Amino acid sequence: MLIPKEHFFQFLKSSVSKEGSGFSEVILPYKNDDDLFFINYSGQREPALNYYRTIDPLRIYFYFPREKVYPIKTDNYKRLIVGATACDLRALNLLDKALVKGDFTDPVYNDWRKSTYIISADCEEIADTCHCTLLNGKPYPDNNYDINLSSYEDNFVLQIGSKKGEELLEMLEKTGKTKEESEAVKERIEKNRSSVVEDLREQNKDFNYNGDYTQVRNVDPDKWWEDQEECIGCGACTNICPTCYCMILNDESNQQEFIKVRSQDSCQLHGYSKVAAGDSPRPKMRDRFRNRYLCKFEYMKEDFDELGCVGCGRCIDSCAGEIDIREVMHKMLNQVKQKKA
Amino acid sequence: MSANPFAVNSAQITDIIQESPSIKTLRLDPKDKFEFSTGQFAELTVPDKGEAPFTPSSSMYNTDYIDITIMKTGFVTNHIHQLEPGNRVGLRGPFGNEYPLEDWENKDILIMGGGVGMAPTRSLLLSLLDRKEDFNRIIYLVGARTPKDMIYKDEVEEWRKYKDVEIIRGVDEVPEGQEWNEEVGLITTLIEKIDINPENNPAVVCGPPVMMKFSTLELIDYGYSEENIYLSMEKKMYCGHGQCRHCMIGNYYTCKDGPVFTYHQIKDEENIWK
Repeated sequence: MLIPKEHFFQFLKSSVSKEGSGFSEVILPYKNDDDLFFINYSGQREPALNYYRTIDPLRIYFYFPREKVYPIKTDNYKRLIVGATACDLRALNLLDKALVKGDFTDPVYNDWRKSTYIISADCEEIADTCHCTLLNGKPYPDNNYDINLSSYEDNFVLQIGSKKGEELLEMLEKTGKTKEESEAVKERIEKNRSSVVEDLREQNKDFNYNGDYTQVRNVDPDKWWEDQEECIGCGACTNICPTCYCMILNDESNQQEFIKVRSQDSCQLHGYSKVAAGDSPRPKMRDRFRNRYLCKFEYMKEDFDELGCVGCGRCIDSCAGEIDIREVMHKMLNQVKQKKA
Repeated sequence: MSANPFAVNSAQITDIIQESPSIKTLRLDPKDKFEFSTGQFAELTVPDKGEAPFTPSSSMYNTDYIDITIMKTGFVTNHIHQLEPGNRVGLRGPFGNEYPLEDWENKDILIMGGGVGMAPTRSLLLSLLDRKEDFNRIIYLVGARTPKDMIYKDEVEEWRKYKDVEIIRGVDEVPEGQEWNEEVGLITTLIEKIDINPENNPAVVCGPPVMMKFSTLELIDYGYSEENIYLSMEKKMYCGHGQCRHCMIGNYYTCKDGPVFTYHQIKDEENIWK
């Protein structure tokens, strides 16, 4: 489905008005120098779609850094997020498995998921640290979106991915004109996508991710410590990661009512797994450093059949010690191979 | 599943028993029904203070009340020790797995409880006694630092009246001014005093990490297989249902896959005794 960009933006503008499509909030990326940030759209700033992933992970719109989880009230809130990228959707898929589809449901995350409509977009450019292709990802979404946008000249090509997507299309068609895209347009989009994939491959050609991720735990710990030396244990990498969902359950009960608040935590912090008597299974920074990798590449894969790393590269950008997850994994996987040989 | 796993059940404290200078048992009357299987744990909330995980110490078949035995060891437990009958606390759970009682029917069961680690094993013992006819012998080894630290003092004689129940209690030392006429020595030395067939029979261990470690090794020496040694593990169980990831032992969640693990399951994981 093809829609003129102008019509699409008109739809967004009308969505934030009271008489519009009933969204309480429209969230989308805008660009500041080279960085992209999600903002609450007011209809004023120009949205920046079809670039690359934002600084902030999409996760924080579904799993807030601090959120009351008991007691909760549900209302008829409806949100629209536009411009989500494939890596973030892949992360959301893992979070769905962890927080909704398993043995328990996080009621607040579930509410946000249900009340949010997602319009994703192909990445047409890449950030320096983007490396989804190393993790068998692609810079355009395959699924997990309601509608996906690919850019074609002055138009967006719409891909409908869900029931919610059909609803959105109906809304769009009230004010905008859509038409079926031609084969030539489809080809053009495929070509664009392939060229971004090529850019990603070129950018990451020095990193070899072929190997058995589950074996990195057996790598000689000394090899891990080499990379850990620059780590100051600040937890930035986990705070900005789109799949990290570790939390502390804070009790904020008073004499009148019981209140539970979950807030974000990081396995990189020392107090993380300390028990009442003071012992900790991971007292040293190096134990915690390695734990993050084992969690992403082994535990999450085992638990959810999804890798905990989607290759967004945010942890690289945020690291004060300039540690590059690609370099660490490249080295560790190399060690695995050497060991086998 | 739609129930909110963070929901709190209000419970009133009906009685408090001072078990030792640093250990108290709270007797609770939950507002909504609170059923658990022995081995499982609950999260207990003290309004204005916080929440922490504890294993009930009463029988799973007791529907009149729930006992929770708590040692004063940190911020929340210090405040729990200041509570009084009539006060209200919160309960979440139960969480985790249970002792596999069905598998233990017609078997000889060895239980080892050290210090406040006696609490979960008291729940186990009382649950077993409630249907004693299903099990063979029960041998309960109990360890405490000094006679003053020994908990459930007044109940032991009652337990000893049961047929095929043997209870051996030991203290590490008897300081001046304290009286003791049972065993003296670490709990691991009590194992030598028993006569039990380790083959195909379960052994349960709960206590401080160092006690669990050496008891486990001693049990293996005695002839118990790793699969038959059941450990009640404690880690930082915040949420109780496998979300917060604080209590992981390797890729096991203590709160969900445990807290009861066989030694065989976790022996190769790193730092299990910490």
